[in-house]
Amino acid sequence: MNTKKVVVACGTGIATSTVVADKISEACKKEGIKVDITQCKVTELRSYADEADLIVSTTILRDKYDVPVINGLSLITGVGEDEVLKKIIGELRK
Amino acid sequence: MSLIKFILDLGAVVMLPIIIFVLGLLFGQKPGRAFRAGITIGIGFIGINLVIGLLVNNLGPAAKAMVENMGVSLNVIDVGWPAAAAIAFASKVGAFVIPIGLAVNILMLVTRTTKTVNVDLWNYWHFAFTGALVTAATGSLPLGMVAAAINAAIVLKLGDWTAPMVQEFYGLPGISLPHGFSAAYVPIAIPLNKLIDKIPGINKIEASPEQISKRFGVFGEPVMLGLILGVILGLLAKYDAKATLNLGMSMAGVMFLMPRMVKILMEGLIPVSEAAKAFIQKRFAGKEFYIGLDSAVAIGHPAAIATALILVPITIFLALIIPGNRVLPFGDLATIPFMVAMVAPITKGNVFRSVLIGAVVIAVGLLIATNVSPLHTQAAIDAAFKFPEGATNISSICDGANPLTWILLKLMQIFG
Repeated sequence: MNTKKVVVACGTGIATSTVVADKISEACKKEGIKVDITQCKVTELRSYADEADLIVSTTILRDKYDVPVINGLSLITGVGEDEVLKKIIGELRK
Repeated sequence: MSLIKFILDLGAVVMLPIIIFVLGLLFGQKPGRAFRAGITIGIGFIGINLVIGLLVNNLGPAAKAMVENMGVSLNVIDVGWPAAAAIAFASKVGAFVIPIGLAVNILMLVTRTTKTVNVDLWNYWHFAFTGALVTAATGSLPLGMVAAAINAAIVLKLGDWTAPMVQEFYGLPGISLPHGFSAAYVPIAIPLNKLIDKIPGINKIEASPEQISKRFGVFGEPVMLGLILGVILGLLAKYDAKATLNLGMSMAGVMFLMPRMVKILMEGLIPVSEAAKAFIQKRFAGKEFYIGLDSAVAIGHPAAIATALILVPITIFLALIIPGNRVLPFGDLATIPFMVAMVAPITKGNVFRSVLIGAVVIAVGLLIATNVSPLHTQAAIDAAFKFPEGATNISSICDGANPLTWILLKLMQIFG
């Protein structure tokens, strides 16, 4: 399986996205999926989205993207975290 | 006590790793993981120090030359929130801010004085920053810690108060945003919005965000912003072409690298913050509580983005014309979304009103940031940041221009 590219977007490109990126990378390691995770600000997402296989965002996305988008808010609140991780893994397995 | 004093005097690069290691152990982390987290935080701090050097060493002389050429005295460099956060966590108050913030939150939850379970430990830096300024002003560590605790309590109350509005506007059920910077503007924005309601003509103007974002898009990309501002400053400083282009690239580099460095700091904090989050969420969970998050989760909303983009050129313009302002806006031009994140729900997403309110708080904020710049610089030096000889003063918009931080500072100075 090829390395999958995930872009994690949030308001800063640092704060909440680092937590989310950390969780995705751990989950993927457990599942044996190779991922390359990039973080960015939501205002920069347009420039990063084209090369991605999946977008995970902790904030509201205004634009539509050709790439699948998953809301990663649960990974910060901890509520419904496992389901979202499962969804992310499922998407990367495709 | 002498051991604590010894650790505090080691300097941030050594102190922070020790503190994070100990906190990690206290929250039940494995020693190996806690140790690695501590080292990571120290490395993040070293990285930020390097980038601040890049910023101040390049922008400082350019600002000075610009002052001589143009007669505008903007010689206080806005280093931006990443540097302010690092200064805050690296301060002596910062060493205690995680236990302080948690204790305040738990105490208020137990006494039912808040509904917010603030799991956003990263943003405790705002409280530490207030504390660091108070300590720099009064020389008293206990007063700084008290200021941090009061700041944490006020922000929790602001989070509670705004939660219904935030939940509805941003579609974030069960969430509140107890954010030290964003929430501070709520008590100002509400009366200003009421005032706008009363002004004939102005109160009818509506502006929708969609078009604006496209037109002002470049202001949302910090690297481009850094490049453009660097080149403009080079021209104003009457640099030659080579030096001007180099300044542009250096500033683009600062904008790119600074967040990367803070990310390292953030990574080091994750084990502790995740453990603390689990600890506090296990005890206070359920429908009657809000989960307190970083206002970063709201920033993507078109109204917040559009407002912030328009405010970037307005901020630079205000900095040039406001008498008494000495702050050269730079690092925090990319942070303006956080200023308006909780203003947008108040104006119900009306970009025109949000910009108007934003311009008022920025105008006042620049004067506040000018006012605190000696203390801001002192706090940075106290936190072992290296400044070149005879260096320019520094400040920031987040939180150097934060009215809540400033009020707490002035109150505490009465006691100091």
